[in-house]
Amino acid sequence: MNKKIVKWILIIVIIFWTIMPLYWFLRMAFMNPAELSLFPPHFYPHKPTISGFFNVLGFSYTSSSGEIFIPSGQADQIRRGLMNSLVLASIVTCITLIVTVPLAYTFGRLKFQHKNKLLFAILLSVALPPVSLLIPFFILFVKAGLTGNLIGLTLVHLTITIPFVAWMLMGFFRNLPPVEPLATIDGFSRIATFFKIIIPMSKVGIAVAAIISFLFSWNEYDFAMVLVNGTPATTLPASISGFLFQHPEVEHLAASVIYSLVPPFIVAYLLQKHITEMNITNPIGG
Amino acid sequence: MGYLKHKEKAGDLSNFQFALLLTLPVVLFLVTIIIYPLLYSIWASFQQISFFGGYRTNFVGFKNYIDVLHSPSFWNGAIVSLRFMVESVVLTLSVGLGIALTLKGILKGRGIMYSIIIFPWAVSCYGAGIIFKYFWGGIRSFPSALSFILGEGRSINMLDEHIVIEAISIGNAWHLAPLVALFLLANMQTIPTRLYDMAEIDNLGGFRKFYYVTLPYLRYSLFIFTSIVAVLSLKMFDYIFVQTGGGPGTASAALTYEIYKESFQNLNLGYGAAMSFYLLFLILALTILNYLFWGRKMV
Repeated sequence: MNKKIVKWILIIVIIFWTIMPLYWFLRMAFMNPAELSLFPPHFYPHKPTISGFFNVLGFSYTSSSGEIFIPSGQADQIRRGLMNSLVLASIVTCITLIVTVPLAYTFGRLKFQHKNKLLFAILLSVALPPVSLLIPFFILFVKAGLTGNLIGLTLVHLTITIPFVAWMLMGFFRNLPPVEPLATIDGFSRIATFFKIIIPMSKVGIAVAAIISFLFSWNEYDFAMVLVNGTPATTLPASISGFLFQHPEVEHLAASVIYSLVPPFIVAYLLQKHITEMNITNPIGG
Repeated sequence: MGYLKHKEKAGDLSNFQFALLLTLPVVLFLVTIIIYPLLYSIWASFQQISFFGGYRTNFVGFKNYIDVLHSPSFWNGAIVSLRFMVESVVLTLSVGLGIALTLKGILKGRGIMYSIIIFPWAVSCYGAGIIFKYFWGGIRSFPSALSFILGEGRSINMLDEHIVIEAISIGNAWHLAPLVALFLLANMQTIPTRLYDMAEIDNLGGFRKFYYVTLPYLRYSLFIFTSIVAVLSLKMFDYIFVQTGGGPGTASAALTYEIYKESFQNLNLGYGAAMSFYLLFLILALTILNYLFWGRKMV
């Protein structure tokens, strides 16, 4: 009984810790400028308005009391950013999965010569700080005509998602039960073992890897700021940052951040459900 | 499909051939796309690059590297970065492990809890920076509002120079812990349940069960995540940039921020490149130390 109470307290603490910073920021999207400048701050919007959500997409909004909220100057960039980010993140996720799953399997489970050297080559690319690669990437892409479009940004994102996701999947593959010898006895070749046994057993790890690559690409800011900001290929993070360098319209900033959170939350929610459906303690069944 | 059948008949490849088949294309891609920028940075770090009065470069040898070591802002940045890293690693791993252990035993409503705890990870670094800028900072921060509710009625700015690093580290842990928790949870599911049955028979208490049964299975993941969180924190730029802009003063001016400031604001590209190599050495050194200290037995 005591244990149960402790558990419930812990769960409430976890929920509070997770939700509070988000809530504190997102509530501002529903406030009008007058309420935002009040001190002490309100815990919740007393006269909630949804004008910000229309304004950042380029629509004006008339409240029930007749007050008119005009569209934000950033609206055009925000709309483009939304589309571009969706396309970009989907492509990056697919390519990353196709590449990293076999890679991580190999490093996580097989013993072979030169393993450490290959591993080091991959880890080195994880260690490079993006800030120090910004200038060379920028100059390289200007020469190759890859600034202002999504191809260049896709390449950059892959250089980051591939090593990162591979690194994390390795730990997952190591913990799978040793089924390869059994598969060999049943007459499976290596390739068949990998595709028909290992991959179905690893859906959870792969789902998490998919979440990570999608979110990384959707959320990447440093390179987007340098490579595509202000062009038609702008991504959402780059276009949102436009709010930070002008007179702060906090309700618009908050509304556009909410838009940027929708796809990640949906992806995370769907894949999360997938995870709980898996029974990976008993993957072979029976 | 034909390919598959062919391979099945072709029988076994050696481990090394199989590994090469799967990894070589990726390694080649990464190496080419990383090597050029890396070489360019190395070249730039030995040049004095000037833009005013026409673009020109002068070879200056190790001058940039020596200048960096004589700059107080570099040492300040190094201390800020290291403090941010240590605090982030400790907070993130403790929170992540705490969440994982709490959720592990839940059967009902597990899906809902999973979708709640994953929220922060879905937020971007720049988004987390913006969120915590308004959560911690200014007179309308969350702590101020709380102090008015509790009747003390004072404005609290957590992004104050004395505690700004602690404040941004907590935000960083908020952002990264869900990933750690989810991976640890997935990892815990691979622990054979019979081990827990056996622990039950041996009458192990909660803590000893955790220490002897759960922890050994998590050691590899914990090692990996210590490295990941450390590297991510040292590399972190946009989160800090958006939240504090390195301030107040230079209280949160991490190395990444100094590199950005030198390269993009002062347009001192060579000097910035040299500084970024010190950061890279720091990251590599810490990763290797972590590996020697903890990971050697496991990789």
